[in-house]
Amino acid sequence: MELADRAVGLLLSSISLSIFTYYTFWVIILPFVDSDHFIHKYFLPQDYAILVPVFAGVTLLSLLCVFIGMVMLKSKKKKA
Amino acid sequence: MKHIVKILSLLLAVSAFWIGLLQAAIIPPGYNTWLLPIYFVVSLGCYGLLMVGLGLMQFPTCPQEALLLQHDIAEAKDFFKHKGVDVGSD
Repeated sequence: MELADRAVGLLLSSISLSIFTYYTFWVIILPFVDSDHFIHKYFLPQDYAILVPVFAGVTLLSLLCVFIGMVMLKSKKKKA
Repeated sequence: MKHIVKILSLLLAVSAFWIGLLQAAIIPPGYNTWLLPIYFVVSLGCYGLLMVGLGLMQFPTCPQEALLLQHDIAEAKDFFKHKGVDVGSD
C-alpha cells in the first residue's frame, strides 16, 4: 500500500507546487511585463487574482461550519 | 464550546485591527492593497499542502513488524478464548 501513499503524496505536492508557481507568476512577475507580451494570454485579468482565493477561502470556511453544525446536531440527537 | 468562542473572538479582533490599519491609509487605496496579504495566505496554504505531500511520500512502513503484530494478535485472541473471555468481533 505504500505505492498508493506515494502516488497521493506526489499528486498533492505537484498540485501545491503548480498552484504556488502560477500564483507567484500572476501576482509578482506579471505586473512588470509589457502589456502586449504573449504571456498575458495564459493568465486571467488581475482582479481574479484576488477573487479566486477569497472565494475558495469563503467556500472552505462555510463547508467547515456546515460540517461542525452537522456533527453537533448528530451528537445532540443521539443524547436525546 | 467555549474554545470556539474564544478562537472566533480572537479572529474578529485581529481582523478589526487589520481593517483599522487599512483605514489609516498609509498605502494607496483600491483593490491592490489586498494582493500581498492574500499572496502570503495562499503561499502558506501551499506550503502546508507540500509538507503533507512530502510526509506522505516518505512515510516508512515496516512489513515484517506488521506480520509479527498480526501473529501477536492471533496468539492473544487464542489465549483469551481459552480463558473464557469473549473476543469474537470479526
